[in-house]
Amino acid sequence: MLKDLLEGKPLRHPIHPMLVHFPIGFLILSFLLDLVSLAFPGAPNLVRCSFYAMLLGVVTALLAAVPGFVDYSDIRRDHPGKAIATRHMTLNLMVVAIYGINLWLRSSALTESKINLGPLFFSFIGIGLLSASGYLGGRLVYDEGIAVGRHKHKTPTPQDTLHLSTGYAAKDGETTFVSVPNAEHLRNGETLRVEIDKQVMTIARIENELYAFQEFCTHRFGPLSEGSFHGLNVQCPWHNSCFDVRTGKVTNGPAKVDLKTFKVETRDGQVGVLITKEHDQKT
Amino acid sequence: MKPLLDFLKGKWLGHPLHPILAHVPMAMWPGALIFDLLSQCPIGDNAMVRLSFYAIIFGLAAALLAAPTGLVDWSGIKKEKPAWKIGLYHMSLNLIVTLLFAVNLALRWQTFREASEVDRIPLLLSAVGTLILICSAYLGGRIVYEYGISVARMSKKKWRKLAAAGGANLPPEKEKPC
Repeated sequence: MLKDLLEGKPLRHPIHPMLVHFPIGFLILSFLLDLVSLAFPGAPNLVRCSFYAMLLGVVTALLAAVPGFVDYSDIRRDHPGKAIATRHMTLNLMVVAIYGINLWLRSSALTESKINLGPLFFSFIGIGLLSASGYLGGRLVYDEGIAVGRHKHKTPTPQDTLHLSTGYAAKDGETTFVSVPNAEHLRNGETLRVEIDKQVMTIARIENELYAFQEFCTHRFGPLSEGSFHGLNVQCPWHNSCFDVRTGKVTNGPAKVDLKTFKVETRDGQVGVLITKEHDQKT
Repeated sequence: MKPLLDFLKGKWLGHPLHPILAHVPMAMWPGALIFDLLSQCPIGDNAMVRLSFYAIIFGLAAALLAAPTGLVDWSGIKKEKPAWKIGLYHMSLNLIVTLLFAVNLALRWQTFREASEVDRIPLLLSAVGTLILICSAYLGGRIVYEYGISVARMSKKKWRKLAAAGGANLPPEKEKPC
């Protein structure tokens, strides 16, 4: 519940990207005021103004960190964006530490008419790291799609991909039955991200039935295991393409190509998916 | 013309430009309101009055830079999509907010050097401007987080590879620009 709140689900907008405007803006403002104080040492109070801007930047950075940690913990462990998120977080922690020292260095020299080179150097490094970190944060959203459409998904995001293989499974002519033990415990709306011999799929329970379909949307390849369900349709979190989970047919654009679907069966009391030769050949 | 549009879309950076530039006014103008309010308390002579003034100027400069990048991003959205309409509201609100803070700045121009507190009318303008700005910024965020505008635009080749490796049905290679 608290997690949903910090992820901004009630607002239908993630909180971390809202709050980060403030540290980014104020820390840059502080640096600019430092530079102005060097250019115009006659203008009063610039060093003090810079200190206050920095103080507000650090306070808002600490506020933004809280939903940031929650967003980070929500990214699937094998998501290609996870490594970027780790770097983003590490850089941000360094930035906060640098500005902590910076504030302390400045606190005793607020009445100076131009900024000392020591604190200015800290700001310079801080701005560099902050820019790099902000850029990575943006890449997380615009390249990796982190937190995009997350509020539409009512159940927890899959934390890992389940790796299975047809190697040990019973082959039955053209089809192979691969048992997926975890699928049985899924509740309505919950999803599993499963990889069977490189075939990546989502297994979801919708209206008390299990369905399996390809993980990647056919538009920009968004993660359907993080999608939302409307009746028997799955909606991609990114650009809202909809597909019928029974047939894989597109029910709403922008996607134009149907999904690959897989049969889910129960054999000898075990739930599993049928992988056909045709699926194998395509992979 | 196309190189300019690509530049404004941030292709050279691998990151859309508008959301980067928008950080500055989004921080500066609510910041100005905070500083206006703090100026009513006795903190560091007229430091808060000045800080508020500098924040508004910095915000205006960045807003003027952000406007063309936003216009280009918006013009890339198809008119029948819901994001187009939201983009139109976002843009209209931003124009109003920018205008309000420009007037706000003009009102302070004569007094910010000496005044020890911010007057009622500029303070009110900061408050109204901030309120509208928050609404507008929320709409801007919705364009990204609800409708996925600019999401996976520059990374679609990478995702296509991942999807192909994951055995997915794929769209035909040549996609229309979207």
